[in-house]
Amino acid sequence: MCDVCGCGHSHDHSHDTKSPHPPFEKGGRGGILQNKVVDVNQSLLKANEDAAAGNRKHFDEDGIFAINIISSPGSGKTTLLEKTIDALKGEINIGVLEGDIETDLDAERIRKKGVPAVQLTTGGACHLDSILVHKGFHSLEHSLNGKRLDILFIENVGNLVCPSFFDLGEHLRVVLISVPEGHDKPLKYPKAIKTAQLLIISKTDLVQYFDFDMQKIKKDALSLNPSLNILEVSSKTGEGMDEWIKFLIHRLHR
Amino acid sequence: MHEVSIAIGMVKELTRIALENNAKKVTGVKLKIGKMSGIVADSLIFAFDAVKLEHPLMSSAAISIEEVPLVYECNTCKKTFETDNLSFQTCPFCGSYSLKLLSGEEMHIENVEIETEEESHV
Repeated sequence: MCDVCGCGHSHDHSHDTKSPHPPFEKGGRGGILQNKVVDVNQSLLKANEDAAAGNRKHFDEDGIFAINIISSPGSGKTTLLEKTIDALKGEINIGVLEGDIETDLDAERIRKKGVPAVQLTTGGACHLDSILVHKGFHSLEHSLNGKRLDILFIENVGNLVCPSFFDLGEHLRVVLISVPEGHDKPLKYPKAIKTAQLLIISKTDLVQYFDFDMQKIKKDALSLNPSLNILEVSSKTGEGMDEWIKFLIHRLHR
Repeated sequence: MHEVSIAIGMVKELTRIALENNAKKVTGVKLKIGKMSGIVADSLIFAFDAVKLEHPLMSSAAISIEEVPLVYECNTCKKTFETDNLSFQTCPFCGSYSLKLLSGEEMHIENVEIETEEESHV
């Protein structure tokens, strides 16, 4: 029984609850109050990390490649997903979890493409966490009617700061920075760049209208994360889409 | 403001640890937060002090945070140096760009102070 969401699934959400001090019988009346310091020495984000590890295990067991997409609002995450679905239709089974503070507009857009999508409405929280993704994934599973997924896209809440802190159990983290946002974003939002494996510079068809320095953004991003992959993509003109799709297929079969 | 989510997770985790150790209440918690962790210490304290009130076991817990400075080791000349500057660094000794961060990204609960009731054998 999945005790995180009570969904009836029997997958493992084990937590290490071994205690260095086994609980003893409750003292009777007249017990002595004592202060003691318990060494914890664990990550502040342990609750999220535990659930993320559970998600990753679940994705691995089901043979699903999970991708967490992070960007500012309006960088073109949903449009890129729509174009990606078009490009992979018929050969790759895709599912989408859509994170937003309010509305299910994005999930609607994805469903129109004939792909199962679940909207995760955070109701104010500025990022997704692994527990919300866990629940959302079960909800998505129910709508699959036994069909298996190859790729799960998790579109995070539009925000270049907070989502970087929360592992969702993904196998690949993609950050989008669009040309209109400016080339200074990597240095301003280093954590997003440092925790990603791929940077997509989006809306490249607009480069001629902005003072955007393509060399500088790449140099800065690589100085923060030397192993970062970088792609230039325009969802509108299709420029760079082939490289993105190739990258996805390569990572999927790795 | 990811500090609120972090505080919620932290309180949940501390409650678990406190119950495991038979605590009557949690009186204090000590954290280590690196200067480049991306966590604003004051925001986390503010969030923790708000979240803890919903948990009777935790409601009087005092939080203390040790901020950990940035320490780099140069991969070229092997010297270490400390800095408060969060932006991209070069080695002050040899100018190399190849640096390894030794500390400054920590986000740790170091320890928790609890009050337990021991049986008296009078």
